[in-house]
Amino acid sequence: MSAPEAPAGWKRLFLRYEMLLFAALLAEWLLFHYFGTTTNRRGVVVGFGTMDRQFDILRHSCEIGLLALALTPIIITAGIDLSVGSLLGLCAILFGKLWFDGGLPIPAAAGLTLLIGALAGGLNAGLITGLRLPPLIVTLGTYSLFRGLAEAITHGAVTYTDFPASFLFVGQERWLGLPVQAWLFALVAAAVWLLVHRTVFGRSFRAIGFSPEGARHAGLPVERRIALAYVLAGLIAALAAIIYTARLGQAKADAGTGYELFAITAVVLGGTSIFGGKGSVTGTLLGVALIAVLKSGLATLPIVIRLNAAEEISGLLTGALLLAALTGSVLPKILSSLRRHRQAG
Amino acid sequence: MKRHFRELSVTATLLLVLLGMAVFAPAFFQPQPLLSLVTREAPTLIVACGMALVIICRQIDISVGSQFSVCGIGAGLLAARGWPLPLVIGAAVGLGAVLGAINGWLVAGLRLPSIVVTLATMVTLRQGLNLGQQGAFVNLPDRVQWFGLSQSAGQWVLVLCSLAVLAALGLALRHWPAGRQVYAVGSNAEAARLAGIRPQWVTFLVFVLLGALTGLAAIMNVVQSPQVQPLAGAGLELKVIAAVVVGGVAIAGGRGNLWGAFAGLLLLACVSPALTHLHIEAYWEKAIQGAIILLAVVADGVRQRRSEP
Repeated sequence: MSAPEAPAGWKRLFLRYEMLLFAALLAEWLLFHYFGTTTNRRGVVVGFGTMDRQFDILRHSCEIGLLALALTPIIITAGIDLSVGSLLGLCAILFGKLWFDGGLPIPAAAGLTLLIGALAGGLNAGLITGLRLPPLIVTLGTYSLFRGLAEAITHGAVTYTDFPASFLFVGQERWLGLPVQAWLFALVAAAVWLLVHRTVFGRSFRAIGFSPEGARHAGLPVERRIALAYVLAGLIAALAAIIYTARLGQAKADAGTGYELFAITAVVLGGTSIFGGKGSVTGTLLGVALIAVLKSGLATLPIVIRLNAAEEISGLLTGALLLAALTGSVLPKILSSLRRHRQAG
Repeated sequence: MKRHFRELSVTATLLLVLLGMAVFAPAFFQPQPLLSLVTREAPTLIVACGMALVIICRQIDISVGSQFSVCGIGAGLLAARGWPLPLVIGAAVGLGAVLGAINGWLVAGLRLPSIVVTLATMVTLRQGLNLGQQGAFVNLPDRVQWFGLSQSAGQWVLVLCSLAVLAALGLALRHWPAGRQVYAVGSNAEAARLAGIRPQWVTFLVFVLLGALTGLAAIMNVVQSPQVQPLAGAGLELKVIAAVVVGGVAIAGGRGNLWGAFAGLLLLACVSPALTHLHIEAYWEKAIQGAIILLAVVADGVRQRRSEP
């Protein structure tokens, strides 16, 4: 939702897809607050309703949120990147290795890791734009390659730990009342929002996703713009890797496994069209929040605690949610084609 | 010759790798370990045949690994309840077909992109299985393993069965009108529709076929051991897609054949034993797999660029 299309004031504000998402998020939060908050024997409130839990949700949603932000421009150009989760794992390992084995100070290691992430994104970009290969198969290949390299470097066993407290501060402490990584996340979110909604680049992403040939004829540097989206995704995945390492205090090869699914779900749920040409960063943020609250809230429900299956149920619901969001996104098209069919017959 | 360049080049690479193994690690060719290796790959070959059809039809299915696990566990539970083996096989194939039909309906009926649909069904099925099974193995009754035959007889049955499926599907794809329709839809769905083919039906049916074949493959995996693991299919989708793409099936649809996919599968299957015999750590396998996929698509891309005017 970039350019204001509908002139009517209240309609424009309230009948937007983002408002629907926001209402769903609010309802979900209230539901968990009601069913997931209990008082234990000592009279202390535990469960969903505590402030600690809210900070926890923020902390846990940062990495997936960053990946979702990275994927939003890519999906707007009608591309896809399945390799971001694997790249997170590879960058976490390399960051740990640079610091632990390479003896670099943390800032230098972090800078190098960001560079490596951008280079890895550049590999995707080069193959996709240089040779005109389908993004799906290229990033499926790098999905396997990046994770495989992470496993090969660590021999599937080494984890890097013992990071200094000044670094763990980024992932575990608060600054100005909020978790530190939430500030970083807000910074990236603002940057991506500006890029997608307030610059020529964002406009060209949408043009390319709508019709790459049309964009080329309009004189846009299609290849360079697509490449930018993938390099940016690599850079953001590397940042997510550093935050992940700071939150857990360890870097291991399976970091970020399966995150690409949650990220893609958040983007699609947020109203970005998987066919490209349309999308919003605000929607993505709401999608991330919806998934993060669901994941965290489920773990506080008594029935889920009894089953001891929070991970499974949240995965199951996220998959189902993605299917529902996809089906919902094509429903208007199908209904209108049915109507046309009836009129014609 | 030029038309089958990709298939021939993969076969040549395979022969080169085998030659290298013959020189540097002759132990690879001992009959019994080799038969075991081929037997382990037999279910993968069956899934690869179905996947080749789906990719020729310009779609993709990354939920086959989850389907494989679900069908395997389902079959194991039925066998443990004392169902006769033929019924269990039928049930597994049927369950696979139903799972494939769900994907097919979402892709062909609602016209959603197959990559995202199958990503969602992959996770839904896997987490559903985890929830139901909590990682527990299923113990099978005695007579199920190797169909109640001796081990080597059972291994031969599996290998011959998978080769029979490969031959039947390969010939059908080449000579049957239905097989040609898959190519037609994959190269240009709109042109196929104008030629009187119903592209949505063809797409739906290749997904159902892939599901049914995955169910069959799951059974072929189940009979190889006394227990069924819920994680049996983890990573299968990558292995299968890699084999198909390396074998020269174009991800953009409409090109490739099953013989190429077969050669691609054998080539990838040699990676792991080759690493062992050459004393390279097994952790490199996944990275090498990814590199081979990228190499194959890059080769395709470069060739296509050159053939462009």
